[in-house]
Amino acid sequence: MAIIGPREIILGFKAVGIEPVYITDPKEAVEQVYSLKREKVEVDGESLNKYAILFILEELAKEITPEDYKKLSADPLPAIIPLPSHMGTTGYGLSKLKTIVEKAVGMDILS
Amino acid sequence: MAILNVNPTRMELLGLKKKIKGAKRGHKLLKDKQDGLMQKFMEIIREAKRLRVEVEEKLGGAFKNFIKAGSLMSEEFVEGALLYSTAKTELEVKTKNVMSVRIPQFKLKSEGEVITYGYLQTSGELDMSLQSLQDIFPLLIQLAEIEKSAEALADELEKTRRRVNALEYRMIPDLEDTIKFIQMKLGEMERSAITNTMRVKAQIEAQLAEQAA
Repeated sequence: MAIIGPREIILGFKAVGIEPVYITDPKEAVEQVYSLKREKVEVDGESLNKYAILFILEELAKEITPEDYKKLSADPLPAIIPLPSHMGTTGYGLSKLKTIVEKAVGMDILS
Repeated sequence: MAILNVNPTRMELLGLKKKIKGAKRGHKLLKDKQDGLMQKFMEIIREAKRLRVEVEEKLGGAFKNFIKAGSLMSEEFVEGALLYSTAKTELEVKTKNVMSVRIPQFKLKSEGEVITYGYLQTSGELDMSLQSLQDIFPLLIQLAEIEKSAEALADELEKTRRRVNALEYRMIPDLEDTIKFIQMKLGEMERSAITNTMRVKAQIEAQLAEQAA
């Protein structure tokens, strides 16, 4: 597990055992997500993703273009999950859910 | 509807009939798959929304606490305090197969203490914020699992729907039309052959009658 965000916000996650990756620049964040996704570990002869879940702060996640996001979320792992920061939610997470629903059903049935 | 570019022969007709049988069978199977996926998706998506709202609410609070703690203490102290954290988390990842969609399942194993620092140089806010972070942690994992599943299901659902529609509105009608076209053409050829023989026969008979006369 890893979390991507500005240093002062995500420092606390270190204490609960998530690896923090300090980034404030959105462009850098995209590259970082790509490289974190590529990292593998060998377990019992199998090569598995080192990070199964990548948390990313909404402020940074917002800047990921749809094309990049599509590429990043194509495989079953890692799961890329946007989290709201201390500023409160920007609604990005919910709007992402909405697009998922629209994609699957053809219309938004959640609201 | 469009007629496929084929020769109107009996051979082709047999081939097409076989093809349409396969297409109809595939269509039925895919439709069933789509229904199954939709059912699963509906189960998950409401849960996902509920979880997300809950996480967003709680996490905002935790972050605020943490920022507060950070502002009360110097950064070196915060980092120093967290340096010796013995908390270890292990994430067990399994993938489940639902209708040929691979869905991750996370199982969290955490051990150790989060707060492993002296209380003297750290503020109470830090303790509180770490405690709340730890409380939210399982929720985050759950959210990750469910959201990823919903995403994967939605992807597959879209693909399946495209396939079903392509079969239902394009491939099957096209095949049906082509089969009809070939059958008509074959019938036409048969009739033309009959009239041809009839005409030839009449000609021969006329010649014979002339010779006899």
